[in-house]
Amino acid sequence: MVATDEELVARSRDGDVDSFNQLVLRWERPIYALAYRVIGRDEDARDVAQETFLRAFRALPGFKGQAKFSSWLYRIALNLCRDWIRRKKRTPVVDMPDGVDVIELAAEQGPVESIEDLVARQEMSRIVADGMKLLPEEQRTAIVLKEYHGLTFQEIADLQGCPLSTVKTRLYQGLTVLRRHLESQGMTKFESDK
Amino acid sequence: MMTNPFTCDDKATLVAYMYGEVDAAVRNSVEAHLARCAACAAEVTALGDVRSELGLWVPPDVELGFTIVRKADQPAATVLRPAQWWRTVPAWAQAAAAVLVMAAGLGIANVQVRSGPDGLTVSTGWMTPASAPVPAPSNDTEWKTALVSLEEQLRTEIRSARDQQTPALRVSAPAVTDDAVLRRVQQLLAASEERQSRELATRLTQLNADMNLQRRADLMRIQQSFAQYGDQMMQQRQMLNNVIRVSAGGQQ
Repeated sequence: MVATDEELVARSRDGDVDSFNQLVLRWERPIYALAYRVIGRDEDARDVAQETFLRAFRALPGFKGQAKFSSWLYRIALNLCRDWIRRKKRTPVVDMPDGVDVIELAAEQGPVESIEDLVARQEMSRIVADGMKLLPEEQRTAIVLKEYHGLTFQEIADLQGCPLSTVKTRLYQGLTVLRRHLESQGMTKFESDK
Repeated sequence: MMTNPFTCDDKATLVAYMYGEVDAAVRNSVEAHLARCAACAAEVTALGDVRSELGLWVPPDVELGFTIVRKADQPAATVLRPAQWWRTVPAWAQAAAAVLVMAAGLGIANVQVRSGPDGLTVSTGWMTPASAPVPAPSNDTEWKTALVSLEEQLRTEIRSARDQQTPALRVSAPAVTDDAVLRRVQQLLAASEERQSRELATRLTQLNADMNLQRRADLMRIQQSFAQYGDQMMQQRQMLNNVIRVSAGGQQ
């Protein structure tokens, strides 16, 4: 039977490092993906993800389970992303090594997808990433948390420290900017046309 | 409870509807509005398309493998840290070393302990070193036994001095001459030095072996990394060639 986050947290707090490493294994990819989409750099996203788990490990004795473990991790990671953006004083940069992306997409799609389709998908991915780069950090983070991590409006409001209505407004504004960007790139209704 | 009819400018509710975070009454209200407002209906469709297209943005599939490792859990071969060999010396040996240090101090200061009619007499001063050859103990057990024996003799001497009011007890204690005590101390000192040299040599050899292991492991890791990068480069180059070939074919 798979242990829950709460059980692993309790064991980790008793000094069981293996239990904490199970939590790391369970959450490292979502935390990395969050950092990557918010700050847009692979290397820095790795650093943020690693630092997130280090901080969580050190702060574990103070974690009383008042929030979900994942929410707590997200909060640490988002604070680190915010620090990174503030420290670097720059907008997120999207770096996607072309060759790597094509290979990844090929692996995802299997042999049925043609090279042309792969290249087109890669181009669309780049356009979406460029559009996300245009958004203010709050809107981008709200969209990332909602779209890629499935958090509720209330959870996002708690993480961002703002009212529920603000989260909805940020999402609407962000999606609207993205819509204009995608239209300007000729990408509208890609999925619905398929 | 009555729900207000949805209006075009209520974007927060529209977003909540798109993500399915509204109750049934609000959902009905929004759907009724969308059925008669083409602009809002088109907006919901367009934003839905944007949401679909967001799914195209996938982070790189990188190797992460973060692990929290306590230093104590790391195998010796992968950790370079100063060897704290003194921690492995047994307690009895540490105690014996303390006695020997004291004995060495006594030897350097040339402390002489004599028993006479006035009991024990302690004096210091330089004198010629004992000319008797100092045989080294053959092994640690012998050395330890000798140390315990010396300690016992010294205790006896001290007890004798303290109980000098009871002559019967003094007589019953074995008489130990100063030269004999000095010889024993010198023997034990020599044995201690030899033992420490052996210990140091063992530890140095072990440290050297650990460093060699670490160096070999590092070299192996570097070689593996180079091989991995080489494979990745080759894959990327082949893929790029395919892309170029396909796009060249498309243009023809």
